[in-house]
Amino acid sequence: MLSTIKQQFPATNFALLALILLMPALGALINGLFGKRMGKDAVRLTALASIGGSFLASLVTFIVVASEPGSRVTWTAWRWFSVTGRMRQDVGIDLAFSADGLSATMLLIVTGVGFLIHLYSTGYMAKDKGFHRFFAYLNLFIFAMLTLVLGDNMAVMFIGWEGVGLASYLLIGFWYEDEKKAAAGKKAFIVNRIGDFGLIMAMVLLVWYSGSLRFEDMQQRSSGLLTQVTLWPVTDLHQTIMPHWLASALTPASPWRVSAATLIGIFLFLGCAGKSAQIPLYVWLPDAMAGPTPVSALIHAATMVTAGVYLVARTSFVFVLSPAALTIVQTTGALTALFAASIAFAQTDLKKVLAYSTVSQLGFMFIGVGSGAFGAGMFHVITHAFFKGCLFLCAGSVIHAMHHRIHDDVASQDMRNMGGLRRYLPLTHATFLLSCIAIAGIPPLAGFWSKDEILFRAFASHIAPATAAVWVPPVWWGKMIFFVGLTAAVCTAFYMFRAYFLTFWGEFRGWRVVANFRPKKHGGHGHGAGALAGPPPHESPGVMTVPLVILAALAVVGGFLYAEPIHVAPLAHVLEPVFQKASQSVIVPEAAHGLVWPLMGAGVLAGVVGVAAAYYVYQVRGGAPARAFATSTGWFYRLVRDKWRIDELYQHTIVAATNAVAETAAAFDRWVIDGIIARLTAGTVALGGALLRAAHTGRVQVYAASMVAGVVGVGWFLVRPHADALVDTSGLRASGRVSLTAASGHGYSYRWRTADDDESVAYGHDKSYAVDLELCEKRTVYLGVKNAFNQAAERKYDLCRDANVPRAPGSQEAAACCSLDDAGRETAREWVRSKLKELDETQKRLEETKRAPEGLLKSLEQRGIKVEQLPGAPPAPQPPSQGPGGRP
Amino acid sequence: MERYLPILLLFFVAAVVAGVIYAVAIFVGRIPKGGPVNLDKERPFECGNPSDGASTLRPTVKFYLTALVFVVFDIEAVMIYPWAVKFSALGWNGVATMGSFIALLVVALVYVWRKGALEWEK
Amino acid sequence: MSSFLVALAPLLVVGLGGLLLMLGEAFAHRERGGSGPSADLAIGSFVTLAAGAVVAFSLWLVGPENLGGAAGVAPFLIIDRFTLFFDIVLCVGGALAALLAGGYLPEHKLDRGEFYPLLIFSTLGAMVLASAGDLLSLFIGLETMSLGVYALVGFRRGSARSAEGAVKYFLLGSFAAALLLYGGAMLYGATGHTDLAGIGAALRGGTLTGADYGLAIVAMVLVLAGLAFKVSAVPFHMWTPDAYEGAPTPATSFMAVAVKSAAFATLLRVLVSAFGDPASMSWGTGWPPVVALLAVMTMTVANLVAGRQESVKRMLAYSSIAHAGYLLVAVVALMTQPGIAQGSILFYLLAYTVSTAGAFGALILCGSRGKEAVSYEDLAGIGHRHPVAAAAFALFLLSLTGVPPTAGFFAKLYVVRAAIGGGFLPLAILLLLNSVVAAYYYLRVLVYMYMREPAPGAPVAAPMRSGYVTAALLICAAGVMLLGLWPTRSLELAIDAALAAR
Repeated sequence: MLSTIKQQFPATNFALLALILLMPALGALINGLFGKRMGKDAVRLTALASIGGSFLASLVTFIVVASEPGSRVTWTAWRWFSVTGRMRQDVGIDLAFSADGLSATMLLIVTGVGFLIHLYSTGYMAKDKGFHRFFAYLNLFIFAMLTLVLGDNMAVMFIGWEGVGLASYLLIGFWYEDEKKAAAGKKAFIVNRIGDFGLIMAMVLLVWYSGSLRFEDMQQRSSGLLTQVTLWPVTDLHQTIMPHWLASALTPASPWRVSAATLIGIFLFLGCAGKSAQIPLYVWLPDAMAGPTPVSALIHAATMVTAGVYLVARTSFVFVLSPAALTIVQTTGALTALFAASIAFAQTDLKKVLAYSTVSQLGFMFIGVGSGAFGAGMFHVITHAFFKGCLFLCAGSVIHAMHHRIHDDVASQDMRNMGGLRRYLPLTHATFLLSCIAIAGIPPLAGFWSKDEILFRAFASHIAPATAAVWVPPVWWGKMIFFVGLTAAVCTAFYMFRAYFLTFWGEFRGWRVVANFRPKKHGGHGHGAGALAGPPPHESPGVMTVPLVILAALAVVGGFLYAEPIHVAPLAHVLEPVFQKASQSVIVPEAAHGLVWPLMGAGVLAGVVGVAAAYYVYQVRGGAPARAFATSTGWFYRLVRDKWRIDELYQHTIVAATNAVAETAAAFDRWVIDGIIARLTAGTVALGGALLRAAHTGRVQVYAASMVAGVVGVGWFLVRPHADALVDTSGLRASGRVSLTAASGHGYSYRWRTADDDESVAYGHDKSYAVDLELCEKRTVYLGVKNAFNQAAERKYDLCRDANVPRAPGSQEAAACCSLDDAGRETAREWVRSKLKELDETQKRLEETKRAPEGLLKSLEQRGIKVEQLPGAPPAPQPPSQGPGGRP
Repeated sequence: MERYLPILLLFFVAAVVAGVIYAVAIFVGRIPKGGPVNLDKERPFECGNPSDGASTLRPTVKFYLTALVFVVFDIEAVMIYPWAVKFSALGWNGVATMGSFIALLVVALVYVWRKGALEWEK
Repeated sequence: MSSFLVALAPLLVVGLGGLLLMLGEAFAHRERGGSGPSADLAIGSFVTLAAGAVVAFSLWLVGPENLGGAAGVAPFLIIDRFTLFFDIVLCVGGALAALLAGGYLPEHKLDRGEFYPLLIFSTLGAMVLASAGDLLSLFIGLETMSLGVYALVGFRRGSARSAEGAVKYFLLGSFAAALLLYGGAMLYGATGHTDLAGIGAALRGGTLTGADYGLAIVAMVLVLAGLAFKVSAVPFHMWTPDAYEGAPTPATSFMAVAVKSAAFATLLRVLVSAFGDPASMSWGTGWPPVVALLAVMTMTVANLVAGRQESVKRMLAYSSIAHAGYLLVAVVALMTQPGIAQGSILFYLLAYTVSTAGAFGALILCGSRGKEAVSYEDLAGIGHRHPVAAAAFALFLLSLTGVPPTAGFFAKLYVVRAAIGGGFLPLAILLLLNSVVAAYYYLRVLVYMYMREPAPGAPVAAPMRSGYVTAALLICAAGVMLLGLWPTRSLELAIDAALAAR
């Protein structure tokens, strides 16, 4: 079977990848164009069939790739375009797709979880009037995500990267009637553009320093990324037009340099931080929850937001060259994990809790990849897709049920209106609980294994620097990260179970929220109407619960895909070969292996403590300690509840600054453009109008006048002579020859003269002129031209052959002799001459010393002895002037 | 350049002659009586009846249409003269060329006819 | 003897097709209240022009060097790959305009049959212009094209704007044509040739006297000015917004696309064949510094003014001027990188044709009679009300902005590469800066379409329904995506064409 597939699809032309990609694209196209006319059933069928088919093809691909660890299948569509690289070589960029272990795993997640969420959406969105549009967007998203995952080079990946952004933006603003939701879409759009900037810069630098955009080639040529890049000063500032004092002030004592890998790593991570919602670019993700809940589950939890983690893993070969960049990734991840978890404490909106939880979990993933545990980081992506996907879908199910009762978008997501739902939504409750246990890190569920591996690697591993000059973080840094991560794990367990208890335990608090209840609007439920006795919440239909059950099951058993400590890790054989090269630089000391179990104990303890605390606070004491805490530290609680007011901070700093710039530009526009230029123009036109009074009114005259002005301008330029020469100084260094070539023109004659000649030199047809300069000699050449209209023009060229000389006789301070005055240059030339003489003598002596061993060699050869290199012979010194160096 | 000098000269002479005639006319007009300008003097001399009605009368657009069609066909027909002069030298090739040219004119005529541009009253 | 008919096949197909359609329209009997003439004529014109493109493409495949008759019509008409490439671009531009007219004219009660023959004969003139290798045929082509377009601009007889635009275009166009003609006469006086290659040889030969050189320089000024008018380079551009705004939108699309392409074709021919000698191409006193200055002014002025427009159609008019500026940058690069620069210009024109025709088409689709899409405000929220029309508009605007992976991105990329490779880094940087400015007003449309809601009670655009317009948009969208995803092959074709012209 497997061999048949391999025969059908050779690894270098694996057309099945095209099928995986095209099916969702086709689905999006059909649903988008004809969805309205096809009816809901056909739309549902198209969407599910396209994703399902894509999933099956992905499965086959995965099997092919997994059957041979380290293998890779590629499908090249065509040469897309080419750019010019650093060596002036053509860097071809193909429209090519490939799948290795990493991509194949992501394929399964995207299409598998994607299929389940599509299925769920057919129930969740059943009553929406934009049904077909929703599925068209969703299929489009899958297509873009697959392009991102399958891209064989960064350019193709970037298309997918932008495509998922577009789909996400469309889906966040799906219910566009709502102003707030449109604003959320806009926010996601803008924040992601900041990230894109980083990604584009990274791509440009990668092409420049590695000469390719293909991941495979870049990995092979990654040594080029160790090149040192000078950040500042970019050029010799003294040579620019800026004044001398400014140039001196701006030039640091030693230039600021970093390795290309660090620069690229930081830019890449900027892109990742945008897409994967890390500090400081995480602000868009919680707002993105404005979209339909399945969208939150698929895009903003399971797949798209993990693209940043995927990219870091994919470009791991860049990051291991720069421990500095990895440390930034790791630290940002740890801070985000803790920070977002703290915000989740005080949220009352169920989806907001899950959103901040996602941000926090993404932080964990970045701790993983930032610690060099690329496999573990990716594994957390997978387990997170299972349990967070399930949690979001459960939340959707809860909201679905609540909405039927409350009919208010905001109130039906508020946990303060829930409680006791386990009686009404038993299946949702069970799956939610399982996922909560999984995310809290209680063994043996999925989240435990992935989080534990990440924390262990953060604690134990470090990066071996490629060269001695590379900066590495101190050893205790990883330990710090571990403790921050551990704290975040406690918080995770706490806020998840807080949500769980508030939602599913206690008494149902939704009876009281009836202010917005509109019994007449939503017919067909058969529940009694009335202020207090609204329809009770009820379980969702089968198409919605089946995905819940499957995902919850995966959240339970998924951990055994990669349970390193107990050596049950089938997925490791697929993923690890991809990071083989990068992992060589990651060192896990032998001694650390003894720490596996103690650290695991700490991890389990963290989860248990978090769950127990939540149980005590919200179940045993009914939330009283939390309220007491809120009242006793009022300002602090409000600060946390308002998400540390980061949005406001951005509003008042960055947005305000941008607005200020815009205001200034607008003011400039108003006063300068409108006020002066427009009035000036109006005045000129009015003046012109007064002059043209004899003619009719109307502006066609102005048009014609402008044309006449154009003709006169062009004519004036072409009729005048232009003395202009191309100065070729390529021979200046070697021989002191400067050749000048005058720009030609119709009917031109030329005249070359130096400062010594007078004006009477005749014009001729010689376009070129050459001068031979001695060192430190300065000469002035005049080029005169006369054109067909007998007009003449002249231009002066100052030429000088430069050298480094002492500023004053006997002084140590060096100076460029062309910058000296006439007298100084004369002394310098004297000095240069004497130096040249010395050089000549040295060279002569050298020749003599060489001759002696040459004679010896000859006599040895005559006796049949061959000598390659005389032992102890001095290496031939290279005199800086011309003449062949000594060769024995 | 020198070849064009006579043309320039011609322009110059033309301008001078025109200017002189104009100046003389004005000067001569001033001499008799020397009196001020009066209405009788301004009146066109022996140019038919005194004008009557609005001076900016708009003739019907049909005139333009007819004139336009006339000019177009007139100008095209002029093309036949040089052809006729060289008729024997051009041979059958010339006949074919002129035939297709005339055919095009006929098509245009048919079009104009069908569109009703040749009818005065519709 | 008849082999020259094969070489002229694209011209003949279009010309005869136009004649037949004209007669057909005159002889058709229509009862009142029935469908207007557009229904048949739009398809007929589309088929005619598409046939022209297909025939040109077949000649390309045969290879114009294998056509015996091509030599028979030279130097008046030069049939080479350069010509054939432009024949295809022009026919595509004309065919798209015909499809757009098929939807636009009936919708806006302008349904008169003359539109289509005028369109086809203008296209024919443009094709003659692109293939002209002699000043005489060049002028005939120019006038054939222009006369038709003058009439098309004034096609909305009831509208004062339309009449104003037509009169202005006609007056200034005659002025420009006179400049060109005068320049041509002077060139003849200086060199004794009217064919471009002969003029080039005479200027290169160095046998002329000083006074003849003076005459040639003045001629160059006048010819440059005349052609700069046609490509609407600043300061010869002022007619453009008025004429573009006054014309019915399909005619605007035709002008922005086909007329501009033909003007660039002839500009390239004249600059390369007639003024291709080292002295004319000199950086000191030749056309490159002049064209560079025109390019800078064109890009900058057009983009700055475009940003201040309230009417989307006027904005697109200024945007087309700005694109002419970008193309002029590549024209400057002809000096040092002739093959690559010309190839990039040809590719740019192809990409620009599909993007611009698409953008005008989308603008047509977004509005209906009485509810036209004129200002930005009219488009507010249309992205939600009519996602398909808005998505098409967005695609074409992104292509005009130069966002990958659309056609416009690669067009700009190749022009920038030609400019940098030719050693004109400052021009390339100015081009990129201008693209950023341009992104502002292109994306502004997107902002209105997707992120604004119309003010309550404000008039909004209501999209029309038309199979013709939709078909045109589909063709354009396919072109934009095809050139964006597979640009290499078309670029190779463009470079082939460019090399043929040398």
